[in-house]
Amino acid sequence: MEDEFDDYQDVFSQDGVLLRQAPSAYIQYINTIGTLYIWETLENEACHSKKRLLEWKPNDVTVDSDVQDQEWAVVNTVQKRVRTLSGNLPPDYYARLKNLKINFEDIKSFRIANKSRQLTFFDGTSDSICSLLFQHGNCEVLVSILRSFLKFGPSRRDKHLFVIYDADSPEYQELNKTFAALDFKNENSLWTLFKNIKEHPYEGSLEAFSKVTNYVYRSVDANEAEFLQQDDLNRSLSEIDDSSTVHSGGDYELVQKLPQLPKRKDFPRCRPLTEEQWREQFNYEGRLEDVESIKTLIFRGGVTPSIRKEVWKFLLDYHPWNSTSAERQKCNSTKSEEYYLMKLQWKSFTKTQEDNFSDFAQRKSLIDKDVNRTDRNLDFYAGDNNFNLTTLNDILMTYVMYNFDLGYVQGMSDLLSPLLMLLEHESDTFWCFVGFMNKLISNFDIDQAGMKEQLANLYTLLAFIDPFLANYLETHECANMFFCFRWLLVWFKRELKQDDVMRFWEVLWTGYPCQNFHLLVGVAILEQERGALMENNYGFTEILKHINELNGKLDMSLMLNKAEGIFYQLKESDHLTDNIRFILGLPLLSQQTSANHSISPDSSANHSQPRCSVDHVRISPESDEAVYDRSITTNFL
Amino acid sequence: MASNKKVLLKVIILGDSSVGKTSLMNQYVNRKFSNQYKATIGADFLTKEVTIDDRTVTMQIWDTAGQERFQSLGVAFYRGADCCVLVFDVTAPNTFKSLDSWRDEFLIQAAPREPDNFPFVLLGNKVDLEPRAISAKRAQQWCQAKNNMPYFETSAKEGLNVEQAFLAIAKNALAQQNQSVDLYNEFPDQIKLTNTQKSNGGGDSCAC
Ligand SMILES: Nc1nc2c(ncn2[C@@H]2O[C@H](COP(=O)(O)OP(=O)(O)O)[C@@H](O)[C@H]2O)c(=O)[nH]1
Ligand SMILES: [Mg+2]
Repeated sequence: MEDEFDDYQDVFSQDGVLLRQAPSAYIQYINTIGTLYIWETLENEACHSKKRLLEWKPNDVTVDSDVQDQEWAVVNTVQKRVRTLSGNLPPDYYARLKNLKINFEDIKSFRIANKSRQLTFFDGTSDSICSLLFQHGNCEVLVSILRSFLKFGPSRRDKHLFVIYDADSPEYQELNKTFAALDFKNENSLWTLFKNIKEHPYEGSLEAFSKVTNYVYRSVDANEAEFLQQDDLNRSLSEIDDSSTVHSGGDYELVQKLPQLPKRKDFPRCRPLTEEQWREQFNYEGRLEDVESIKTLIFRGGVTPSIRKEVWKFLLDYHPWNSTSAERQKCNSTKSEEYYLMKLQWKSFTKTQEDNFSDFAQRKSLIDKDVNRTDRNLDFYAGDNNFNLTTLNDILMTYVMYNFDLGYVQGMSDLLSPLLMLLEHESDTFWCFVGFMNKLISNFDIDQAGMKEQLANLYTLLAFIDPFLANYLETHECANMFFCFRWLLVWFKRELKQDDVMRFWEVLWTGYPCQNFHLLVGVAILEQERGALMENNYGFTEILKHINELNGKLDMSLMLNKAEGIFYQLKESDHLTDNIRFILGLPLLSQQTSANHSISPDSSANHSQPRCSVDHVRISPESDEAVYDRSITTNFL
Repeated sequence: MASNKKVLLKVIILGDSSVGKTSLMNQYVNRKFSNQYKATIGADFLTKEVTIDDRTVTMQIWDTAGQERFQSLGVAFYRGADCCVLVFDVTAPNTFKSLDSWRDEFLIQAAPREPDNFPFVLLGNKVDLEPRAISAKRAQQWCQAKNNMPYFETSAKEGLNVEQAFLAIAKNALAQQNQSVDLYNEFPDQIKLTNTQKSNGGGDSCAC
C-alpha cells in the first residue's frame, strides 16, 4: 500500500500564495507567503485511479528553500507525509510538519473571490479547510487544472461557489452525458488528444475528432449539443480518451485553455504624421480641430522629427489638446516661472542645510551619480564637463523639489534624457518630464507594487495569448516575469536605439488602442522569442540572459505591428476574461450585465451575439442568468 | 566524486548604487573599464571560466541594481548563491555604513543553509581616488567581526587587485559548494534532519 504513494510528481506549482485561513495546527503560517503544489502519483499499472494532493508550503522551510536540492527535498516531504498517513508516527508529527496538505477527496467545494485572487476550500461543513490569496496573478490556472480531474459547477445559491460533484451525483451523470463533459474532463486532454492522433492515428477516431474540433472552434448552441450526444461519437471519443492519457504519465502536458483566438490580423505601420497634416488641423485660434484623428495618425506611424518638439508637448500633457495658441504662450511663461522658482529652492540651500537634511543629500548624490552614467555614448551627453549633463541634473533635482515624496529613483534619468535631447529647453523639458512621469509613476512605487502588478499582468496576457509559453515559464520558475523588469520600468528605453525610443514612446503616449499597450508589445516580443526559449529548454538564468541580450536587436515597428494584431485578437475574442478586460481598460462583462443588458458601444461590434465555448453549456438553462454565469465562469476557465 | 562534474559557482555582487559593482564585474570578466556603463536596471550576469587547483569551474557573477527599493526583487536572483561579494566605495562613507544591511538582507532573502558559515568577501573599491574616507584598518575591523570575512582593496578603473579578489571569491564559493555536496552525498537523511532542527532552534522562535 505504501509503495503506491512513493512516486509523486508535481503537476502544478504556483508561488506567491499567501495562507489566509488554515486549521489551527498551521496558525503560525497565517499570512505567510508560500508555494502551492498539486502532487500526483506516477502512472502505476497496479492502481487505476491516481492519488492527488494539494500542498501549501511556506517559503522559509529550511531544507526546501535550497534551490539546488529542492526537488529531492520536496519529494521527500511527501513521502514523510505518507508515513504519517499509515499511522506509525506520533500524532503531533503532522502538526510539526510545516506544509499544509489536503486530499482532494476532502474538498467538497471551493469559492473564488476577490477578482480570482482568493480561493477558499470547504470540506462540506460551514468551516473552510483553508483560504489562499494569490499574490502573483490569480487562481485561474489552478482552477483550470482542477477541472482536468474534478467535476464541478457553480452553486445555485452562490455563483462564486463551485461544488465538486461526486461520481454518483445527478450532476456528474449529466455532465458525463453532455458534450460539456468532454472538455470538462480534460480541458487539456483535448490537446493531448490532438497530439496523439497526430502521432498515432487511430482509424475512425480521427473522424470523430474532427467533429469535436468543429464543435470547439465554432460557436455552440443547444441543438448542436444535442447532436453531439450521439452515442457513437461518445463511444469513439472515450476510446480515444482511454488510449491517450499521455498527460498523466511522465510527460504531463498541461494546457490551461484551448485558446480559440480570432485570426491575427496584420497592421502594417504607416508614415509618420507630417507637418502638413499637423498644421492643417489648427483653426484660426490655433486650436486643434480633430484631436482623435491626429492621435490615430501618431499611433499608426509616429511623428515627423521636424514637428516633434511641438507635438510632444501635447502628448505629454504640457499643452492641453484643446488649448489655443494664446493659451499655450501664457502656459509657457507661467510654467517657466514656476520651474525656476522650484529650482531656486534647492539651489539656494546652504551647505549646512544640506548636511542637516540627509534625505535631500541622498537624493542629490544619487542623481549626481546617475547623470554621469546616462547615455554618455550619445554625442549629446558625451565628454567631460558637458553642459547637457548639468541640465539633466538640474531638472532631476527640481523634480525632487516638485515631488519630494517620490524623489529620485533609478530609471528616471533614462526617461528624461531623450526629452532633453529633443526639446533642448530646460523648463519645457521639465514639464514634459512631469507629464511622462505621471503616466508611469507607479513604476517607481517604494514597495514596487506597480512593477509587480505590471509583471503579473504581463503574465496574465501572455497566458491568454500563448498558454504553452506561459506554462513553460511557470514550470521553469519564471512566472514572476522578472526578466522583463527592465523593459517595463523604462518603457524599453534600454532595448531600443535612440531614434526608435523616440518613435516608440510617442506611439505609446497616444494611449491608443488601449491601456497598457506596452504590455502587449512585451507579449509580442516573448511570442517571437518563444522558440529560442523553449527549444533550448532555457531556465530562469538563461531566459534572463537571452532577454537582456535582445537589446539593440528588436525591430520596433514589427513589435508594434504584432502588438496591435494581438490587441484585436483579444478584443474580438469570445472568451476574454474580465481580468484581461480590466488590464486593457475594456468594458467589463460583469458591468455590462449589471447595466441590465444595455449594449456598451465597444461591445456592439464584436459581441452582438455572445458566442461561448463548450464550457458554458449550462446544465439547467435559466436564460436570464446565462450572461452573468458566463462572466463568472469565463474567469476561471 | 563531484570533481569531474561541471561546476557552476553562483556569485552575487551587492552594495550601494555607484560603488562600482558593474565596473568590477566587467573589469574581471572582460578586462576593461568604461565610463559609459549605465546604471544597472533589473539584473544581469556574466560568466567566466576559472581554474582553481587544476579544476575548471564556471563562475556566474550576478550584478543587480543598488537602490533599496529594487531589493525586493532580489529573492529571485539570490537563491542558490555560493558566495556573496559586498562592495563599498572607499571615498564614500555612506556606502560603508550600508554594508551591514546588505549582508543581513542577503541572508534573509537567499536563506542559505548555514547562514553563519556562508562565505562573503568584502571589496573596498575606487582606491585610485582621493580623498579616502574609510581606511583599510577600519574595513578590516568590520571584517573580523564578521567571521573573518576576506577583504580586498580594488580599483575597477585601474584593474588593481580585481583578479586576486575574484580568485578568492571563487575559492570560497567552491569550498562552500564542496562542503554541501559532500555532506549531501554521504548522509542525505541525517543532514536533512540536522538542518531542520537547526533552523527551528536558531532561526525563528516558533515552537513548531
Ligand atoms: N575612479 C574610479 N571610478 C570608478 C571605479 N569603479 C567604478 N567607477 C565609476 O563609478 C561609477 C559607478 O560605477 P558602476 O560600476 O556603474 O557602479 P554600480 O552602480 O555599483 O554598478 C561609474 O561612473 C564608474 O565609472 C574605480 O575603481 N575607480
Ligand atoms: Mg551597476
